Amino acid sequence: MIEPTDEILVDARELEPPEPMEKVMRTLALLRPGQSIRLLLHREPFPLYPLLVERGYRHATRMEADGSYVILIHPAGAADAH
Amino acid sequence: MSTQAGLSFEQAPPFSLPLQFFLSAPLFLLAAALLIVLDPASLASRWTPQALALTHALTLGFLAMAMLGALMQMLPVVAGSPLPRPRAVAWLAQVPLALGTLSLMAGFLAAEPIAFGIAVALLGVGFAVFLAAAAVSLVRATGNVTVWGMRLAVLSLLLTFMLGLALALMRAGTWIPPASAAALAAHLAFGLLGWVLLLVVGVAFQVVPMFQITPPYPPPLGRWLTPGLFVLLLIHAAAPALPARVATLVEAGLAAGILLFAVTTLALQARRRRKLPDVTLDFWRLGMASLIASVTVWTVAQFSPAWADSDAYTLLLAVLFIGGFGVSVVNGMLYKIVPFLAWFHLQAQLQARAGSIPTMKDMIAEGRTRWQFRFHLTACGLLTVGLFWPLLVRTGGLMLALSALLLQINLLSALRRFYRHGGRFI
Repeated sequence: MIEPTDEILVDARELEPPEPMEKVMRTLALLRPGQSIRLLLHREPFPLYPLLVERGYRHATRMEADGSYVILIHPAGAADAH
Repeated sequence: MSTQAGLSFEQAPPFSLPLQFFLSAPLFLLAAALLIVLDPASLASRWTPQALALTHALTLGFLAMAMLGALMQMLPVVAGSPLPRPRAVAWLAQVPLALGTLSLMAGFLAAEPIAFGIAVALLGVGFAVFLAAAAVSLVRATGNVTVWGMRLAVLSLLLTFMLGLALALMRAGTWIPPASAAALAAHLAFGLLGWVLLLVVGVAFQVVPMFQITPPYPPPLGRWLTPGLFVLLLIHAAAPALPARVATLVEAGLAAGILLFAVTTLALQARRRRKLPDVTLDFWRLGMASLIASVTVWTVAQFSPAWADSDAYTLLLAVLFIGGFGVSVVNGMLYKIVPFLAWFHLQAQLQARAGSIPTMKDMIAEGRTRWQFRFHLTACGLLTVGLFWPLLVRTGGLMLALSALLLQINLLSALRRFYRHGGRFI
């Protein structure tokens, strides 16, 4: 029944702040139901989190072995589907 | 891990509070420039009342004003620890700092003891309020290299103020401190190499890799540079009691630390991953080049006692360090901080209308920031050469005035864009 979610990759590692946030905001506007975002960054995007919460998205942040970060962003409601 | 230390809207101070600092700073830069234009002879000796008035317009009115605003804004972001009671702190620090700086300038220009008294009282209130709030925030902060830089810089600001207080009371004729020459040397060292330099170094560790997409600074440099410089400053303050050779060694250590920071920063910036033009980068490079020039001028003085004793030597160091380094870096950072805040608060206030607001880069027209950089660069060049060829000083002052005006116009243009898109200054 549950399709594997489409994941949109946003590699923002070479971008200058706040372009990663701007890009995430633009991508959020284009998300279709069931889709999520995988954001790659060199640092943890603290200012992004409250913007996500206010718009109804959840995030999970993981630090990679090379010190970079992967942030998975889902619509808050989508968590129940898993 | 992910949500505890972030900048949330409750944590971020309202836009108007840091703006209060950022928009008054260029006015003091303009005031300093006008003092030069009205009386180019102010730069003939470091001890003219005009030179002292304009130095404090630059260091207190422009540098400290913008740096306090930036600290207020950055503490929640880099340290996860906002200033307590930001609204009260902003008003009780910014207004007394602005009025206190004006009184101090009037005190120097008019040699008026009452003006010194008023300046001391106002600056005392402003700094006491800000330092107390910053201390609360910095004690709570999770330590990283930037937080350590901020802690030592704030401590240096406290020492600078205490020493300045003693010197002001002396000028007002109320009290003669026991070692006024030593107090003056320590006031200068803690103010410029402590407060200004340590804060810039600490912040650079964070913002240079972040905004210019460079590799990180070498971790040992991050760990040792700011504490090392601060310890050297403490020994330097005790230098009058130490053998002359020790004092020279301490100064050499400070010069080496400054050189290391400037060269490393330039090397990292040369390796940046995205080679797009960026006016803030140009301001940083001018700042780092000025630091290297300052160290060179200091080195020459070690081999030429006549040069070391001349007024031109001290004035040249002041123009290079305060104008070429301090003003450049702070000016460059204002072009990141103000557009970022305009974008961030707009994004936060007008939820979920992606694409409907300008990007951060659209906030200030790039061409106008580049013109302002050219005016600033020309002013630095003319004022430096003007120490040896005084005919150029007035034109240098005029360029500085144009630069300050255009800086203010550029910052206001970001706010106009913010307001037109529905942003509110709350």
